[in-house]
Amino acid sequence: MNYIIAKSASEALEALIGGGGRALLIAGGSDVMVDIQAGKLNPETLVDVTAAEDMKGIRIEDGQLVIGGAVTLTEIARSPIVKEHFPSLAKGAGSVGSLQIRNSATLTGNVVTAQPAADAAMAVAPLDPRFVVLSAEGERQVPMGEMYAGFGRSSLDPAKEVVKEVRIPLPAADEKASFVRLELRKSLSLPMLNVAAMAKVSGGVVQWARITMGPVGVGPTRALEAESWLAGKPLTAENMAEAGRLALKNAKPRSNPLRGSKEYREHALPILVRRALESIAKQSSLLEA
Amino acid sequence: MKYVGKSIPRNDGFDKATGLGQFTVDVTMPHMLYAKVLRSPYAHARVVKIDTSAAEALPGVEAVCTFENTTDKPFNTSATMVTTPRPAEPVRDQTVFTGEPKYIGDEIAAVAAQTEAIAEQAVKLIKVEYEELPAVYDPLEALKPEAPEVQPVFGNKEHKNVCGEIVRIPFCAEEEFGPETMEHGFAKADVIVEADIKLPRVKQCQMEVHAAVASYKANGTLEIISTTQTPTPTKMIVAYALDLPESKVRVRNPPYLGGGFGVRIGISGKAEILAAVLSMKALRPVKLVYTREEDFLASDTRHGGYLHARLGAKKDGTFVALDTTAWLNTGAYCTFGVELLAVCGVCGTAGTYRIPYLNYAGYPVYTHQQTAGAFRGFGTPQGTAVVEACVDKMAQALNMDPIQLRKMNTMGPDDKNFFPFTVGSVGTNECLDKAAAEIGWAEKRGQPKTGNKRRGVGIACNTHVSNAAPFCVDYNAVNLTIEQDGTLRVNSAIPEIGPGSTTALLQVACDLLGVPFETATMIFGDSSAAPFDIGSHATRTLYSVSQVLKDAAEELKADILSYAAGHDFLDTDPAKLSLEDGIVQGGSRPLPLKELAYEAHLRGKQFLSTKCKVPENSLPFAAQAAEVEVDMELGLVKVLKIAAAHDVGHVVNPRLCEGQVEGGVLQGVGWAVREEMTYVEGEGFYNEGFHKYMLPTADDRPEIVSILVESEDPKGIFGMKGIGEVGCIPTLPAIFSAVEDATGVRFQEAPLTPDRVLAGLKAAGKI
Amino acid sequence: MERLNVTINGKAMSVEVDPSLRLVDFLRDNLFLTGTKVGCGKGECGACTVIMNGKAVTSCIIPVMRAQGAVIETIEGLAKGAQLHPIQEEFIEKGAIQCGFCTPGMIMSSKALLDENPDPTSLEVQEALGGNICRCTGYVKIEEAVMAAAERMRKGEEAR
Repeated sequence: MNYIIAKSASEALEALIGGGGRALLIAGGSDVMVDIQAGKLNPETLVDVTAAEDMKGIRIEDGQLVIGGAVTLTEIARSPIVKEHFPSLAKGAGSVGSLQIRNSATLTGNVVTAQPAADAAMAVAPLDPRFVVLSAEGERQVPMGEMYAGFGRSSLDPAKEVVKEVRIPLPAADEKASFVRLELRKSLSLPMLNVAAMAKVSGGVVQWARITMGPVGVGPTRALEAESWLAGKPLTAENMAEAGRLALKNAKPRSNPLRGSKEYREHALPILVRRALESIAKQSSLLEA
Repeated sequence: MKYVGKSIPRNDGFDKATGLGQFTVDVTMPHMLYAKVLRSPYAHARVVKIDTSAAEALPGVEAVCTFENTTDKPFNTSATMVTTPRPAEPVRDQTVFTGEPKYIGDEIAAVAAQTEAIAEQAVKLIKVEYEELPAVYDPLEALKPEAPEVQPVFGNKEHKNVCGEIVRIPFCAEEEFGPETMEHGFAKADVIVEADIKLPRVKQCQMEVHAAVASYKANGTLEIISTTQTPTPTKMIVAYALDLPESKVRVRNPPYLGGGFGVRIGISGKAEILAAVLSMKALRPVKLVYTREEDFLASDTRHGGYLHARLGAKKDGTFVALDTTAWLNTGAYCTFGVELLAVCGVCGTAGTYRIPYLNYAGYPVYTHQQTAGAFRGFGTPQGTAVVEACVDKMAQALNMDPIQLRKMNTMGPDDKNFFPFTVGSVGTNECLDKAAAEIGWAEKRGQPKTGNKRRGVGIACNTHVSNAAPFCVDYNAVNLTIEQDGTLRVNSAIPEIGPGSTTALLQVACDLLGVPFETATMIFGDSSAAPFDIGSHATRTLYSVSQVLKDAAEELKADILSYAAGHDFLDTDPAKLSLEDGIVQGGSRPLPLKELAYEAHLRGKQFLSTKCKVPENSLPFAAQAAEVEVDMELGLVKVLKIAAAHDVGHVVNPRLCEGQVEGGVLQGVGWAVREEMTYVEGEGFYNEGFHKYMLPTADDRPEIVSILVESEDPKGIFGMKGIGEVGCIPTLPAIFSAVEDATGVRFQEAPLTPDRVLAGLKAAGKI
Repeated sequence: MERLNVTINGKAMSVEVDPSLRLVDFLRDNLFLTGTKVGCGKGECGACTVIMNGKAVTSCIIPVMRAQGAVIETIEGLAKGAQLHPIQEEFIEKGAIQCGFCTPGMIMSSKALLDENPDPTSLEVQEALGGNICRCTGYVKIEEAVMAAAERMRKGEEAR
């Protein structure tokens, strides 16, 4: 096996192209390395982007929060910039695996591995992020909704494409986001369910809301029914509960031998959605914190 | 006592804190090969055809062993193989490999090769054609007449799928036990309550996976370095199964092993025997290290299953009769099935309380799942879980405080019950009081609850044993040597599996003998270190080895003092002399042992003693109180605190002793609320790694307060009792009791996962 | 084979390695630094934790070439001769060690924490150790040991 340490995103892309489909991009590697050990992946070349200078760092640029493709989850969870603008993203990034995993794993990796309940991916999902993707065809920006191709499958090809950075529009003062996780254990485990939300609440009334949930479909799944129902309504206890119930309309939870039966998940999901909205209500000073 | 009672830091701390201590996974040998195992993908099947030619042809492959070319002599991988007392016979129902696999993971073949990667590739090249056969997974299903038979050759001939025998233990303090006796007992009761509980399989999750390096030489010697908790019994099992003289087989730890909790009392999974057969074929050392997945799916678990109990009491709360039945899932092979069901009855159901009419039936049931075996508590936790549920129900039926009811029924020092020995000292009531005070029982229990998050407190108590005697063959030998400079060396085959027993034992030895701790040493974990030792399990290590240490120290001291009293030295009556801190006192001058030992050496004499002994047995008692918080709408149970009060007789090393309690408690918490192996038909157990098995992590634990109670046991050396397994035993029923206090629902199935709790709360109309 | 330049426990080295190795294989099999343990091979237990450029990582899921130019600390590098690091001393003193298999990883996670946060709260200790499984101790004495070591290190005490 060859191992190429790319110094920039474009160098990584060149290496992938040079690999002709037998090279694989590796960022944190927490999933790739396990799959290689298990014989599920057998790349000829690994292209490591963790030293790519233009994929590092968290910054504000043109009214957007920009997170480099090689930024670790720990860097996100602890970043003062992230904590200031998107505390829910810091929380979600800080919920993945364990500190050791977060010290090497990345947000983009958490999205590209396409696990439907990945905590960092879930937390970023309602924030309307754009993934800046480099490929042989050039650079493009991919919205969250187009990052997943199916169950556990990314729409990106790690043998051909590089996520250079993630761009998230900064929230207005009346836009708040939240992330909640129903867990059997804090560390070293996927959640039973997780929900993230973002909403614009002016004068107590929801202007718009984005709610994502997992694992109830392909990737973080939008609660579109609940979102549209909620728009224009005051963020009251009854309305948050009703939005929770409506969220089920877009959710297809399945039974897992460990992380909850379909029935349990159907019971718990509306409660989690409600709690995610309650968190937004608290941040909007509509509920006591 | 200069050392006993002090928190002396453990002797192996330096080795372990620096990473310099050697574990089996760290061992390499010259010319060594690496092994991998081929396991059955079917729960029950017959191998129609096996073709190993491609594997054998792979460059780097040095040995391929299968059920076709390897001994098929039946044996038992557990220590019961060599510790079952007459007239019982060990159940020998396993072979090294099998052509009729009985669980997903059963061993079909194994390969030894130059590298692990080649061995793995070779295993994939073995072609096997299976004929799938019908299988049964639940113990109650397996007892039905239409169930497929798991062990047609070795199973019980009268009772389908019972392994060994149904364990029946009758006892009556008031009449000779007959068919009507229990009816007489229950007829005396004013109130009768019943309880059921269903318990999951749980996994030991010791941090070092099973591993062995076996080195067989063509001259007929076999040396094994492994993760076993019992070097000497493992030596005997391997020698028996492979028809080797025991004198030519040595089994040792290197010297550390990464935990055990019962999972390797005997052979570690099958690591030792698999490495040995490959080494005998290749005539080279062979190292086999289980993957974590293999460790999870192809080695013993705790027994899950069903228990039912019926308890009768007088109106004033006096217990009169208890009848318990256990149906536990032993899996494909017996290992400890029979003994564990016996301990479940003796210690788990009837050890804590004075009850004149007692009856117990235990069914060890074969199924087509991986084998259940020993796991900290060995049946006692299961029995305790159902009986403590009954006691709580009785308290409700009688409208009594659960602690008051317990205290009036706890066993006294002179009471008789299932145990074939005297009870000894009893600290149960003190434990109950102290645990209750620590948890805030008086203020918290039975308070009205409102809101979504509800708190509750609960309590449970229990006993266990301090070794396995007389239920199985249990004795051990030690060998004490005074080196030529007067320092002490203790030799024992017993391993150090983690508790710090080898430190505490030296504290005991030095106090018994009167020599300094700082220069004493212990050689352990090696079948060649000393004569027979049954190993580290059954809460026995410190307690039982101390018993034989006392005999050996007395003999050694007598030898030293009589030599010192001789003409060449103090020229006095030995009875006037004593040994204190390494100096013979009471003579014309203080005579340092250092001087005496060297002078003796110059005269061709060394001070030595070897003793062997069947230990006494003492009953450790405990009570634990739990506080929980339940998120009612999600069914989420969070354990906030466990107050664990343990009657340890006399504390030898407080810090190490607390460590045993705390570690046990957290395993009990995991068992009660999160840990569970879930079987998926056709695929096997879902839980193949730590991310799919919810044992507690550092950020998910309750506050744990350990309280050590000293009842000064008359049979224990310096008054001590065992502690090793006890910590995990009462935790589950204490938590269930607390959840009942919080929610009003007594759950009958563990663990208390959100799914289960929510369903229970709904069924009871609580939400 | 590729050339790897790396500093391990203060010693700079330049070696030829098979790039398909994991960092833990390189440490254990090539350098015989067997203090770093493997408990699961999937980053799920923390036994293989080492410190890479100041951060605790599970070396079983780190490709060896990621160590290019890195500074790596393993358990073997903590003591100065016979003088143990305060964390090691407190682990021994407070009874934070039982079977010892998780201990090296546990100590390395603790060191990474205290190097960066000399005065952690109990929650911060728990977060730092959440990825290190110990089945023996119930974690109580481990947390005590880390707190005690932190206090000593804050006072500038090297070791006793």
